[in-house]
Amino acid sequence: MKLPVVQFTEEQHQFRATVRQFLQQQQAQGTYTTKCDSWLSGSNPAFSKRIGEQGWIGITWPKKYGGAECSALDRYILIEEFLAAGAPVAAHWIADRQTGPLLLRYGTEEQKQTFLPEIIKGTCYFAIGLSEPNSGSDLASISTRAEKVAGGWLVNGSKTWTSNAHDAHYMITLVRTEPFDGTAKHKGLSQLIIDLHAEGVTIKPIRYLTGKPHFNEIFFDNVFVPDNRVVGGLGNGWEQGLAELAFERSGPERILSTLPLLQELIKELKAQQNEVALQEVASLVARLWSLRNLSIGVAQVLAQGGEVAVPAALVKSIGTKFEQSIPEIARLLTATFPRLDAERALDRYMAEAILHGPGFTIRGGTTEVLYGIVAKGVVANE
Amino acid sequence: MSDMKDILVTTIERIYKKHVTKEVVDVVETGGWASAVWGILTDSEIVNVALAEEHGGAGGDITDLLGLYHITGKYAVPIPVIEATLANLILQQCGGKPTANNATIHLQKGVQIKGGQATAIVANVPWARHVEELVTVAEIDNQLAIIHVSLQDADITLQQNLASEPRDTVVLKQAQILQQYPITAQKWQLFTCWHTAAKNAQMVGAIDRVFELTVRYTKEREQFGRPLHRFQLVQQHIAHLAGEQAMASAAFENMSAALLKGTALDEVAYTTICLDEAIRTVTASAHQVHAAVGVTHEHRLHQYTRRLWAWREEGFTASYWKKERANALLTATEEDFWTYLTSTK
Repeated sequence: MKLPVVQFTEEQHQFRATVRQFLQQQQAQGTYTTKCDSWLSGSNPAFSKRIGEQGWIGITWPKKYGGAECSALDRYILIEEFLAAGAPVAAHWIADRQTGPLLLRYGTEEQKQTFLPEIIKGTCYFAIGLSEPNSGSDLASISTRAEKVAGGWLVNGSKTWTSNAHDAHYMITLVRTEPFDGTAKHKGLSQLIIDLHAEGVTIKPIRYLTGKPHFNEIFFDNVFVPDNRVVGGLGNGWEQGLAELAFERSGPERILSTLPLLQELIKELKAQQNEVALQEVASLVARLWSLRNLSIGVAQVLAQGGEVAVPAALVKSIGTKFEQSIPEIARLLTATFPRLDAERALDRYMAEAILHGPGFTIRGGTTEVLYGIVAKGVVANE
Repeated sequence: MSDMKDILVTTIERIYKKHVTKEVVDVVETGGWASAVWGILTDSEIVNVALAEEHGGAGGDITDLLGLYHITGKYAVPIPVIEATLANLILQQCGGKPTANNATIHLQKGVQIKGGQATAIVANVPWARHVEELVTVAEIDNQLAIIHVSLQDADITLQQNLASEPRDTVVLKQAQILQQYPITAQKWQLFTCWHTAAKNAQMVGAIDRVFELTVRYTKEREQFGRPLHRFQLVQQHIAHLAGEQAMASAAFENMSAALLKGTALDEVAYTTICLDEAIRTVTASAHQVHAAVGVTHEHRLHQYTRRLWAWREEGFTASYWKKERANALLTATEEDFWTYLTSTK
C-alpha cells in the first residue's frame, strides 16, 4: 500500500522545540533521569501530572472534555519527544493512547465526561486487561466471565501481563458476557471499565527481567461492575479491541524505545572520532529514518480514518526488531559494561535495552502473530 | 505527485507491459537490442519529459523522471532510457543543450582533459555500444566539469554486469568534446544525488516486482494439498518481503518528495542504505519461496534478482553513502543526534 509523504509544518517544528525545551529543563532540574523503554516501564505519577499541567495529555481530544483538538501529527511529535528524551510517561501512556480514543469512539457521554478530563489532568491512569494465564496470543480464547446481575455485572477470572496495573486506577477489561462458544469464540466478548480499587480485585506484581515489577497478575473475585461501565456494545468487545490495535502498533514507541542508547552511542563515537564505527551506525540511522516515515505515514492515514491494519503490523514487527538491534550493534562498536546502576550512561542504557529488549517483540502482539496478519493481508490484497 | 506523472507512468506501463516480455529481456541479455520498445519511447518523446520547453520537453521535474525509472525497473526494461534521460537532464542543469542523439551517463571520476580533448579508460559504462555519446565527469585544472563527448572514435570493449546488461569499457583517445561545463561542489553533490536517486527508483521498481511475483507464486503453487501461503514458515517469508517492500517504498516516496525541494542529500543517502538491506532480504526470501523453479533460466524471477544484485554495486553505492553519512554525523553541529535527525523532518 502507498502511504502519504508527510511534511511537518513550521508550527509543528516549533511545537517540537517547545516540548524538547521543557523536557530538557525538567531533566536539568532532576525531575527525571533518561531511560530506555520509559514509555512502558517508566511510571512516574508526579511527572505525568506535570505533563497534564502542560496540557500535553489528550491533546487531540475535543475541547469540551479539556482537550486541545490538535492533529494526530502534533501528538506524534509530542510523544516522539517523550521517547527521545527517555522521559517517564508510562503512568498516563495507555490512557492517552488508547483509552481516550476508545471512549471518544464508543463511550457514553457520561463516561467521556467522567474520565476524559481526569485523564487529561494526568491523574487518572488506565491499564488494558487482555491476556490471561491460558490465553496469550490466542486472545479470543479468554475465559474471564461477567454475569448479569441487578444493575450491573459480576466479574470472575484473572488477567495477566498487565503493564502498570499497580499504578492504574481503572482497567479496560475484555471479558466474556455470553457463554463460550468454541465455534464462534470472538463473539460474546465485551469491554468493561473495572475500578482496580473495587472490592474483589487483587493485583499481584510480576517481577520483570530487570527485577522490577512493571506488569501484573490481576484476580477478580465477584467484582461488581455497574451497567454504565460497559464500553460500547455488549458483545462487540472483539471488534472494538481490534480498532484500537492500529493505534497501539504503529506509533513511534515501536521504534524509539532504545533511542537514548543510540544517541549516547553516537555521542561516544563522535568523541572517539570513530568514522568506521559511524559507518555502521549509518545503517541504523537509515533504517530509523525509513521506519519513521512509514510510521508517520500510517499515523496520517489513521487520522483520516483509513484502514491500516497491515502497515501497522509491519511497523511494529520491523520497528521492535530495530529497537532490539541497537544494543547488539552498539556492543560491537565500542566497549561497554552493561549495568542497570552504572554511572556511565552508555552502560546503563545498554543494560536497560538488553533487559527490556525481549519484551519489545512480545507485548502488543508477538512478531509471529503480526507476521500472520501481514501475510494474510498481503495475500488477500494481491 | 503531479498529474503529469500519473499520466506518464500509466502510459509507459502500458507500453512496457505490451513490449517488454521475458523473451525481449532474454534477447538483450544475449547481446541483442530491443529496438521496438526503444523506438516507441524515443518516437513518443517521453524521453524528453523533464526537459524545458525550449529544449522540446514538457517542463517536468526530476520526480517525473523518477516515476519513469521506477516503472522501468519494475519491468526490467532492457534499454538505456534512464541513462539517456539523466544525461540530458544534467546537461540542461549545467546550462547546456540536451542532445538529440542518444547518450549514456557515467559519473565516476577519472577522465583527464588535455588540450580540449578527453583521454581515459572508462570502465562499466552502461549501454555504450548502443549509443552515440557519453556524458561524464572530468577534472580540468583541478576543477570538476561535466563533459559531453562523442563515442564515435572510442574503442568499446563489450562487458556486462551480473544481469547481462551492457557495461562496456570505453577507451577515449583524445575524444572530441562536444560540450563542457565546470561545476561547483554543490552541483556535483546534486548530480550524485540525482544519479543515485535514479538507481534507487529502478531498484524499488524491481523490489516491487519480486514481491508481486513471490506473493502470486505462494497462491498458485500447492504442496501437501494446500497453497504455499497457508504454511506459517512461508508466511514469515511473505511478511519479511512485505516489510522490506513497504520500507523501500516509503523511503522512495520520501526521497522523491525531498528532491523536489533540493539536493536531498540525507534522504538519498538513507534510501540507498535502506535499499541495500532490502535487497538482501527480498532476493533471499523470494528465491527461497520459489525454490527450484526460481533458479531456472526459464523463470522470470532472475531477471529481477540478478538486476538487483548488479545495480546495488553500480554508481554511488550504499558503502559510498555510509561513508558520507559517517562524515555527516561527525561534522554535525546539532547538540545531539535526535536534534540532527529531526532538523529535516
